Amino acid sequence: MAKTADPDEELVRRVGQGDPAAIQAMVARKLPRMLMLAQRMLGDATEAEDVAQEAMLRAWRQAPRWAPGQAKFDTWLHRVGLNLCYDRLRRRREIATDTPPDRPDDGPAPDSGLLAQETGARVEAALAKLPERQREAIVLCHYQELGNIEAAGLMNVSVEALESLLSRGRRALRTALADMAPHAVSRANG
Amino acid sequence: MGKAGAGTMTMTYERFEYLTDAYGGDLRRWPEAEREAARRLRDLDPRAAVLLREADGLDALLDAAPRPAPSHVLREAVIASAAGAGLKARRRGPGPLAWLSGAGWAAAACAGVVFGVNLTSHLTADVQADAVLYQASLTSADDTEVLGG
Repeated sequence: MAKTADPDEELVRRVGQGDPAAIQAMVARKLPRMLMLAQRMLGDATEAEDVAQEAMLRAWRQAPRWAPGQAKFDTWLHRVGLNLCYDRLRRRREIATDTPPDRPDDGPAPDSGLLAQETGARVEAALAKLPERQREAIVLCHYQELGNIEAAGLMNVSVEALESLLSRGRRALRTALADMAPHAVSRANG
Repeated sequence: MGKAGAGTMTMTYERFEYLTDAYGGDLRRWPEAEREAARRLRDLDPRAAVLLREADGLDALLDAAPRPAPSHVLREAVIASAAGAGLKARRRGPGPLAWLSGAGWAAAACAGVVFGVNLTSHLTADVQADAVLYQASLTSADDTEVLGG
């Protein structure tokens, strides 16, 4: 099998040597990514920060012994982040509580003159309501922009199973957001 | 359901619809091996272009979800944790960093002191760009201030 080019290889090597500039660069490159992964998976900003911080700590520990050629560093880091998210989600299920985590309320359907902020809140709420595996598939493929083979590998499913999760998740989101006018959302927000 | 196989450059409409349902309207998110065939069908079959436009609507909504950005406090804490994890700069001889111990090095990295010394040494353009991004986020400096000249 041909070795997969890893765009992070040199950076990881420098981090492993304790290069402060490389450490800063790694933070700039990966911390936002881990934070977004955790935020989308958990829907809680505080927990997302905790997960992102822990994932980066594990990256620091791994860097000195990272062996290039086995897997891409970004894929490894996503596995770490996902496992940390799974732990949190499992703990939530184990803790029986009458008070669910804060979520945007489901008010009446907004009209087409939505502010971008309200749109974003609605989308976040719809994403949070998805079954975990569908949400995970959409987070990995749409938000984290991982390839299908990488995402399926991280989820321990076949590509076909991933595609089924994606289709079902997108269908559920389309239904939940059917009253919103997608063309009213400026893509310039991103 | 037809597939674009190795060596062929065709895709059925049904396959296109299946992939649109899964991956959305941006072909860059589609399976790499099938993008070229998908582009051809999109260009030839108006129904395919319509499918992509409809999927693009949901993509735009997904992109409207807020993008969390790391706070300054979080970034500093992560940088500082590198020293705690045992990452220490190793230098061959005495130099500007010789006086820095673990915690001092971490603090200096956060303050940009070490950064200013190391940036122009031996990093690739990609790594330098990321380091500039980080430094600019700390001090609101622009690229020329950080890189000099």
